[in-house]
Formats: sequence, structure tokens, C-alpha cells
Amino acid sequence: MNESTGRISPAVLAEALYLVNLLLAPGLAFMLLLLLFRRHRSSADALTRGHVRQAFAASLAAGFLLVGVPGLIALAGDLGQANTWTVLLLYFVCAHAALVLLGVLALARALAGKPYAYPLLGGFQ
Amino acid sequence: MKYQSQAVAKPYFIAAIGLFVGQILFGLIMGLQYVVGDFLFPAIPFNVARMVHTNLLIVWLLFGFMGAAYYLIPEESERELYSPKLALAMFWIFLVAGALTIVGYLFVPYAKLAEMTGNDLLATMGREFLEQPLPTKIGIVIVALAMLFNLSMTVLKGRKTAINLVMLLGLWGLAIFFLFSFYNPANLVKDKFYWWWVVHLWVEGVWELIMGAMLAFVLVKVTGVDREVIEKWLYVIIAMALITGLVGMGHHYYWIGTPEYWQWWGSVFSALEPIPFFMMTLFAFNMVNRRRREHPNKAAVLWALGTGVMAFLGAGVWGFLHTLAPVNYYTHGSQITAAHGHMAFYGAYVMVVLTMISYTMPLLRGREANSPKAQVLEMWAFWLMTVSMVFITLFLTAAGILQIWLQRMGETPLGFMATQDQVALFYWMREYTGLVFFTGLMLYIGSFFVKGDKTQAS
Repeated sequence: MNESTGRISPAVLAEALYLVNLLLAPGLAFMLLLLLFRRHRSSADALTRGHVRQAFAASLAAGFLLVGVPGLIALAGDLGQANTWTVLLLYFVCAHAALVLLGVLALARALAGKPYAYPLLGGFQ
Repeated sequence: MKYQSQAVAKPYFIAAIGLFVGQILFGLIMGLQYVVGDFLFPAIPFNVARMVHTNLLIVWLLFGFMGAAYYLIPEESERELYSPKLALAMFWIFLVAGALTIVGYLFVPYAKLAEMTGNDLLATMGREFLEQPLPTKIGIVIVALAMLFNLSMTVLKGRKTAINLVMLLGLWGLAIFFLFSFYNPANLVKDKFYWWWVVHLWVEGVWELIMGAMLAFVLVKVTGVDREVIEKWLYVIIAMALITGLVGMGHHYYWIGTPEYWQWWGSVFSALEPIPFFMMTLFAFNMVNRRRREHPNKAAVLWALGTGVMAFLGAGVWGFLHTLAPVNYYTHGSQITAAHGHMAFYGAYVMVVLTMISYTMPLLRGREANSPKAQVLEMWAFWLMTVSMVFITLFLTAAGILQIWLQRMGETPLGFMATQDQVALFYWMREYTGLVFFTGLMLYIGSFFVKGDKTQAS
């Protein structure tokens, strides 16, 4: 849908891989994003550099929020109790949905050729 | 507005908002009955409150779709509506029939209502969401056919665009699939099988076309992005909606007596159903990011963006949450379903109708946009209703998780009513949040009466 060039820019690709990592192929998409990050993290183009760095940092944060925090909830709570599952499932669904929505905003900005900063990760441009 | 006949949309929108208020009032009554079982009993029993709540939702959304179509089609077709008089006549027929139906629900025992309205001639009543008496169902068909004739003639004589053709296709689908409400076989499996041809193929099929067309129309207007770009998105979105939604109907066929293969078909295709909603969110934000003008109606832009986000969350995420057969085995018919239903209907259909009303009503009242003061109030209404709906969904989800745990898992599961007592806290929280939603709705209505300086396009 990036009608301007006909080619997918690294910025769009990075944000798309962030979303694929969350939605379709976790791990595999992250590896591809890592390759993209290594190639373009010092790109002269500020837009490319910003999106690639942001998508990579956001993927790392997402990994912590979707694997680390649920793990902590599971360890801290008793999985034999309904309350632990209620908190765990609500947290996971909300965190995952919020991360996907942020990815959609970032992808929409990348498609429009505009920069984007994920919340709390703005310094990593 | 460009064409005088577009004015027929106005009474449809006013009626829609009026019925929306009724729907929320009955939702609040019913929400209270969850925790105070005899509230308003026997005047308004729970089953009646529920029927009125859901039927009013359907009817006001239909009013909204029709109003939107009567505004959108002439503008897209670049000509006056074929017959504004027919549109107005249908408005009054639909409004009177709808009002009589609700009065019937409230004041006549349902069995007596069925007897009075000819249900013994052709039994169609007594099924969830399709409770309407036979004359009302026939009335809906007449109104829909008259509207389709009117709109189709307008399009046939005018310009054909992707937006008006998709809108028309969605409306034709709406009318055609409603015909299955007249088919009520004695075999319960077949009954439920075809019941979904109305319910599912409306909300996860043809209504998505209507929604896509309405969203595309507003985005063309408020962003100034090339129609060609927006139409490309629309084509892909509706293709994905139909590809996933039609076979995705299998997720309703897991446990009703249909063959086991539906568990695979339903799981696979309905797992793909979030895709069109995901695309709609991306579409809305992408178009707004690429906008070529700052439209003075900022409230309409906010509603359009909100539609994408909330439809994705409610229909996409909360739908996926319980759509896979092994998960649905536990979650089926629990409060998880209620959570999904609330956010999906609000996000996808309530918000898209309000987007359309927000964009068109100022134009119908002779200005490009409401005053900044009125828009601020409308935006407050947006946030109050949207945030409260998020919390309603979260509380119902929590109630659902607890319900499933207590009632359907473990070695000594509780009974249904005993479980309801255990989740009452979440029902109270849902009720309080419902009051916030109602406050937002009142502010929304109030925003129509706020005067102030006119805004100018920049």
C-alpha cells in the first residue's frame, strides 16, 4: 500500500516485522528484524534509522511485557487460584492488544513517511 | 450538503440517537437486575429487558445505516435521491413499527404477543435477536426493499464509485440475509444453523461492507486523500472481510449438532477474521497521517480513528480470544461472549454510525463543522463512552474468566446461579461504568445544542 515508491522501505518493513513478531511468527520475525536493525541502525536517512531502531527497541520491550511480566505473575501468584488466572489473562490480552495498536500507529506513520516514537522509548531514535 | 435530498438522512439519525438512549437505559436496568434480581420485577422482567436492549440496538443501528446511505449515496452518485418522499415514508413506517414492537414487548406477555401477531401462521418468533413479531419482520423487509429500490435507482442513474457500490452491496446483503429469519425449521440444529445466516452474516459479513463504505466516505471527505488510494484499501478490506467472515461462521457451529469438521473450518477462518479490522485501523490512521487538509470537524476525525481502534479491539482481539474450538469449548456462552459482544458492537457499528452522524449532522444543519465548544463536548462524550466501554469489557472479561473457572473447570464445579453470586462484584463495577457510558451519551446529545462561533476549514 506504499504507493509512493512501489518498494517497501526499511522503515515500513521494520514496523511490519514488529507486528508479525507479535501476531504471526514470534521469534522468526524478531530474527529478521534483528538483521534489518543491524543493517540500517546507522542509516543516514533519519526516517529509516528512527523506525528501525524504534521497532527493534519496542520488540525487546514487548518481549519483556509479554513473556517476562506474565512469568513473574505466574511465579508470584498461585496458578491453582482463579484470581491469578484472571489477572494473568487480563494483563496478557490488554498488554498484547496495546502493543499491537502501537505497532499499527507506527506502521501507519511509516507508510506515510513520518517518524514515530513508541511511548517511553522515544530516546532510542 | 451538496444535494437537497440528502436531508432525508436527518430524521433517521435523530431517531437512531433516540433509540440509542432507550437501548442504554434498558442495558442499565438489565445490568442492575444481574445483581438485584427483582429490580423492576414483575413490570420489566430480565428476559424482556434483554430483548428490548438487543432489539433497540439492532433497530437504531439500522436507522443509522439507512440515514448514512441516504446521505452517502446521492453525494457519491452525484445526483439527487431517486425518491426522497419514499425515503421519508419508509422512515415513518419503520419508526412506528419499531415503536409498536417495543411497546408490545413491554406491555403484552410474549406468548400473547405471538398469538396476536400471527405467529401461528408462520412461526418466526422466540429466537434470540429475531424476537420481532411477524408483521414487524415483514415491515423490515418492505422498508429494506423500498430503500434498496430507491438507492439502487439513484446509483444506476448516477456515478458509480467503489464506496457507493460497496455500500449498496452491503445493504442488499443485509436485506437478503434477513430473509432467513422467516425460515424456522422444527429441527433445532437446522434452526440454529440458519439463524446464524442472519446474525453472523450480518455482523461478521455484510455489515462490515457497510462499515467499510461509511468509514471510507468520511475519510475521503475529512482527509482529502486521493479517492483512488482509499478505494484500493476498501477493496482489500471488504475482500478480507468476506473471505474470513463467510467460512468463519463455522465458529458458531462447534457445539450445535453440526459435523465435527466445522471445528477446523471455524477455527482456521475465524482466526483470520481480525485481519479486516486490523486493516481498517491501519487504513484510518494511514489516511489521517497522509491528509492533505485540516478538516474543521475534528470530532468526526476522532470518531473515525476511534472506530478503527475499537473495532479491532472488540471484534478482532476479543473475538479471537474465544474463537478457537478448544478454547470455545470452555468459554462458550459465558461472560467472555458478553464482553466481546459489547465492545465489538460499540467499536464496529455504534462508532461508525456516530462517525457518520458527526460528519454529516453539521452539514445537514448548514455548516461544515460544529463550533469548537460543541466539538469539545462531543469529544468528551467520545472519551467517556469509549473508555467506559473498555472498562465494561474488562469487567465482563474478568467475570467470564472467573465464571469459567468456577463453573466449568475443576473437580467440583459450581452451578450457574451459585457462580453468578461469586462474580457479582464485577457486575456491580460494570453497572457503575455503564452509568459513566450513559453520562457520555447525554453529553453527546448535549453537544447538538451547544452554540458558538462557526469553525472554518483551513
